Amino acid sequence: MKVKSNIDIAASPLRVSKRRVPRAMSDSGKMKKPDVKLVLLGDMNVGKTSLLHRYMERKFKETVSTVGGAFFLKQWGPYNISIWDTAGREQFHGLGSMYCRNAAAIILTYDVTNWQSLAELEERFLSLTDTANEDCIFAIVGNKADLTDPKALEAEEMEAEEEGAEQPPSHPASPTVLKQVKREDAIALYGRVLRYKAQDERACLPAERMCFETSAKTGYNVDLLFETLFDMVLPTILKKRSENSSPTVDLEECRGAKQTKAGCCS
Amino acid sequence: MEEEHQDKEQSETVRCSEPQSHCSLDEPDSLQVANTISLENSSPVKLDCSTEKPCRSSSDTVKDIDSTNGPSEPEPEPEGPEGDGMSTRSSELSEVRTGEENGPSSQPQGTAYEEDQPENVSDSASTDNTLEDSSEFVVTVLARGSLEDQGEGPSSALSEASSPVQAQAPSHRDEDVTAESWRRHRKHVFVLSEAGKPIYSRYGNEEALSSTMGVMMALVSFVQSGDNTIRSIYSDEHTVVFMQQGPLVLVSVSCSRQSEQQLRSELLYVYNQIVSMLTQASINRIFERKKNYDLRRLLAGSEKILDGLLNLVDSDPSFLLSAVHCLPLASSLRDSLSQILQKAITPNLVFSILIAKNQLLTIVQEKTVIEDTRLEPADLHLLLNLIGASSAFQAGEIWTPICLPLFNPDCYFYAYISYLDPPECTVCLLLLSTDKEAFYAVADCKRKIDEGMRTQNALRSIARAQSYSASQVGVSDLRHFMYKPFDVPDNHRQLTQFTSPEMEAPYSSEEERMRLLDLYRYMHSRIHSSSRPLKLIYHVAERETLLAWVTSKFELYTCFSPLVTKASAINAITKLLRWIKKEEDRLFIRNPPKYSTTPNPSKGSRGGKGGSDRQDTTDNGFLSLL
Repeated sequence: MKVKSNIDIAASPLRVSKRRVPRAMSDSGKMKKPDVKLVLLGDMNVGKTSLLHRYMERKFKETVSTVGGAFFLKQWGPYNISIWDTAGREQFHGLGSMYCRNAAAIILTYDVTNWQSLAELEERFLSLTDTANEDCIFAIVGNKADLTDPKALEAEEMEAEEEGAEQPPSHPASPTVLKQVKREDAIALYGRVLRYKAQDERACLPAERMCFETSAKTGYNVDLLFETLFDMVLPTILKKRSENSSPTVDLEECRGAKQTKAGCCS
Repeated sequence: MEEEHQDKEQSETVRCSEPQSHCSLDEPDSLQVANTISLENSSPVKLDCSTEKPCRSSSDTVKDIDSTNGPSEPEPEPEGPEGDGMSTRSSELSEVRTGEENGPSSQPQGTAYEEDQPENVSDSASTDNTLEDSSEFVVTVLARGSLEDQGEGPSSALSEASSPVQAQAPSHRDEDVTAESWRRHRKHVFVLSEAGKPIYSRYGNEEALSSTMGVMMALVSFVQSGDNTIRSIYSDEHTVVFMQQGPLVLVSVSCSRQSEQQLRSELLYVYNQIVSMLTQASINRIFERKKNYDLRRLLAGSEKILDGLLNLVDSDPSFLLSAVHCLPLASSLRDSLSQILQKAITPNLVFSILIAKNQLLTIVQEKTVIEDTRLEPADLHLLLNLIGASSAFQAGEIWTPICLPLFNPDCYFYAYISYLDPPECTVCLLLLSTDKEAFYAVADCKRKIDEGMRTQNALRSIARAQSYSASQVGVSDLRHFMYKPFDVPDNHRQLTQFTSPEMEAPYSSEEERMRLLDLYRYMHSRIHSSSRPLKLIYHVAERETLLAWVTSKFELYTCFSPLVTKASAINAITKLLRWIKKEEDRLFIRNPPKYSTTPNPSKGSRGGKGGSDRQDTTDNGFLSLL
């Protein structure tokens, strides 16, 4: 047993390139435990599921309130990134810390038209991140920007042209809903989050880069958000990998690797 | 006939009210209880109430009060077993109503009551405006039927009520609760806390209904103050059923003509669905700590699950029969599906369930669990409803805590929910584990199941599986049936199931389907009547003839064309039973397979194999009635 695992570990740098082959062949790439974890947190009805849906499926759809948490796997280059879309309802509050365990990045989502949703992030959700990685990356995301920001609305038109898809014949010419949360508020919250996590503000990513305003409805900034974060968590993956080749044997890791091999040979 | 039935029920209600309660009635104390409670609860919504008072509605109310009390008061008297208890009861009822009804003395009806309870009226009149408004509603709801009779001619209240339900399905939450269309809904369900705080309303916003719910709570606590429990109120068209479960009070206001027993069991489903999300222990704990806690904080977002449940309860006979409907499938295919599930196990996995088109394909259970207790159909219904109401999009895998109230109301299972056939999303896999942290291990089981399904091309076979048509039975005149075999000793641990063909013409429209279900509900209520249960009913209805039969081995409801004769119907049933016997392997899950995932994982694989040995020897008796 021990010998086997040693071999696997020795082979680990190779696995990266090898694993892509069976995945392309039989879609069994999901067998592998994900490399890194990203979690969406935020009050109910701020649009967490819609954001993820927009990114994964390229469309906006009426969603129903999420039950518990939903797990998605996203391939990002050679890496498997797992994304947890959590329920914002208080009912599932107790589970939050479980979904956040060892998370490499956490997206704190609020609704730009709802001040309370930003306040909730600090009151209710911040403490859930205690179980996340120590060097966890935080992003503060204000969704529903299409309601307040003409720029976000325009994104819809661009998107429509790109996709060539049918779009509703008319949409409100100008945003009508009052914006309740300013970008500065989100930036201030980002600072407080870092202080809460006792991370050094100067060493961390600057607030300007980590505060987003998005619209799941029009797609505004959605790709930017996810892809920025994916790129940012890459160093975490590499670090984890190098840690794994330390003398400590991770049996889970080995089992995963074995299965991959079997899939490859058969 | 039906009236007679109702009267019986009513006399029962009467019987359960002890004579003492009427003594306390005459004491102003007990009245105060009712008054104070409705006051407390209705005070936060003064605003709403004041807007709710167009002059038209007040004149309506007058009519309503007239008509409710007219028929309902004298009704019990002739039949009452205890003359005294009876009359006190009726006076008590009217008093409960007056306690809240008689707000403004400007209403002529109010004066009629004043004669009976002068103090009472002055009490409530002096209290608050809110009182009168909320009560006005309850009374009108109770008496709505009679209003319809006057206003809208002879058309049946039932069909009238069901049409608006379908017309405006999506936006019930924003409905105007003062509108006539709101009152006309076929079945209202309300959930409130013991403190009278609204928790859920099927139609309309609970917030707007807090005064109404306050009145409901007042009724409950008023009767409670006399060491009694309010069970139901009957009016011409409506049945109001009350149920208290721990700190929650559930109320059903229905004009569906269902029996009290049926409405009560539906309320129990609602309660259990709430428990499935929060657990009974935590509900009790919350209210012990804070009596006036607003449970909507925890249930926010779950309204759709409850809405979905109530729609299912109305449209799916599984709930009526407390049995599970499984998709007919060649037994060899079902077995191979079970085997796929049996092979994909991980420690602490207790149930593996495969569902297609909202019907059960197969279920595999942990060995020790199945020995201890079994999965109740009701728990499975709640699970199916949860899946239906939560949308996992395509590749998503859901991991959520869920409590199975009948299995254990105080603990959570962790449910893994994923579709095996994205993007169609018709075949759903449900894995239940007791380990909160087991997501990745359970998700791995899904990969194995995926793999197994792929190698056997099982998804394609499942897609071909279909329900059947009544014509396949080969009995002319038979339009539809529902057959539920009872457990027989050899199959004691069976999951209670039933089988039923597709509803086809003339039951292809929504209304006709509902009408047939209503007929079944009526037959069911007669069979299961607590006062006079029946074994066999031959019921000639206007457009069809129904025959229901219950024996120690099965419960059967059949629907024939109207021209069938009694003899030919009985003959047809014999043929039908023979057909079911022949097809039972396909129609039912005969031996729910098992696996063992007890903590020692090495034992698990052995258990899996052991479970796959089918116990074919135990088949006899399952349907040996012919």
